[in-house]
Amino acid sequence: MKHLRAINKKARRIDDAVTQMEEAIEAAAASGATPPEMEEDVVALQQAPRPHVPMGCTLSFSPGWEVDAGGGTAGLCQPVERDIYDCYVTCFWPVQVPDHVNYSPDWASNCATATKDWRNLDLVFP
Amino acid sequence: MRRATQAIRFALAAGLAALGALPVQAATLFMGAYPDVLLVFDESKGAVTQKIKLDTGLPTSMTLSDDGKRIYVSTITTSGIEVIDAASRKVISKFSLNDGSNRVRFWGGVPDPAGRYFYTVISKIDKEIDRKVSKPLYGVIDLKLGKLVRTADIEKDDEKAIGGYRVAFKVSSDGKYLYAFGEKVIIIDTATLKAIDRIDLAKPEGTGLENVGFGGALETLRTPGQYVSVFNAADPYIHNKMFGVARFDLNSRQFDFTPIGPAPAAMAGLEVTPDGKQAYTVVTNGTLGAKRCEFWHMDLPTNAVVDKAEFPCRSRFRFGMSMDGRKLYIYGASFDIEVYDAKTLKLEATWDLGNDATGAGMVAVP
Repeated sequence: MKHLRAINKKARRIDDAVTQMEEAIEAAAASGATPPEMEEDVVALQQAPRPHVPMGCTLSFSPGWEVDAGGGTAGLCQPVERDIYDCYVTCFWPVQVPDHVNYSPDWASNCATATKDWRNLDLVFP
Repeated sequence: MRRATQAIRFALAAGLAALGALPVQAATLFMGAYPDVLLVFDESKGAVTQKIKLDTGLPTSMTLSDDGKRIYVSTITTSGIEVIDAASRKVISKFSLNDGSNRVRFWGGVPDPAGRYFYTVISKIDKEIDRKVSKPLYGVIDLKLGKLVRTADIEKDDEKAIGGYRVAFKVSSDGKYLYAFGEKVIIIDTATLKAIDRIDLAKPEGTGLENVGFGGALETLRTPGQYVSVFNAADPYIHNKMFGVARFDLNSRQFDFTPIGPAPAAMAGLEVTPDGKQAYTVVTNGTLGAKRCEFWHMDLPTNAVVDKAEFPCRSRFRFGMSMDGRKLYIYGASFDIEVYDAKTLKLEATWDLGNDATGAGMVAVP
């Protein structure tokens, strides 16, 4: 393969892009940072380099499935339902939980105690 | 018969233990709660006795007026302010700052001594072709007209110190100076909204995500015109962080700071007993699963730490004290209050609120 050479513009651009990516991966590996091509990729929590974990709030709307700032569960509220409202009010991430300030102010109207009655949280359809 | 006697003994013992957890001079506690209420908690009964509905939404911060008669509640749902009469427990005025596509975001603040203006730091969010979010600005809200009447730029160097959310505020009793307590203390002239003095004392880091600042949890202050709390200071040479007690005279802008020891990773403000002699804080070291929390009991006349006790802390919590200074409260991110004896630093009881509390903090009135 190393004997192949690009002979038109498009092939040269592909060649350049691959070279740049390889250089970026080498530089990232040297500094311990996340390689740029992995920034939007799906990675395992145990994988190195570690994925970026949004602090405190759940990555999917599934009470009980949540990680803390370190990617583990030791720093979560116990039980984790206690974290729901903090995500709902302060994080403004409508993908993970409904957004209190902009779109779903009534999501928790029927649920005063998340740990005991989180099943009363409203359903939100996009 | 013997079993019945034993059962009665147990019941009596349990009852006495529960009574022991009740403060001698019981007060009424106000706490913000989900989704849009203020809980009224009777310390003598250890129970919620009333829920005050807040039409402007979810409470995020509370401030008691210096005369103890009014509670100013800020809400996030519609960026509102509701004023509660502490005696009758009724909402006496309420308004929202959001106006259609133009919104205001603020977190806490403080009323002036006359109760006419409310000082805070705001961000304006205007929907134009795209949504335009302003830098943090000093904001003055007219509580009578129910609208934002003045704004002013925060100097660039001060933005980092007080531009975030949940910075604590105080106003001098003559209404001339606004104090913002963040990564440093900034004194602002209320007439011009210009910073006139800066003090390199930092509020210690809080004890959890929700305690990044102290907007709703400014320690109960019982002496108008004065403010006593723990602060961190660093020496100018090797930047070694020390914590200590600072005492501010808000009118004269004088303060003194007494270093006590190396600054721990996080401290949860300072709760001072009514006689002004004893004070308590919560110190947190470590993070996540390695997090450990301790009560620190300080003697204010000698500025010495006289007792410490570790307790099993929550991931996020707030720290409070009963009106008589005999009980310490751990609450927040939950539906209950853990009650500790201030002398022994031992857990005495857990009070069920039946409702999740917000990070708005706790206000105690007689």
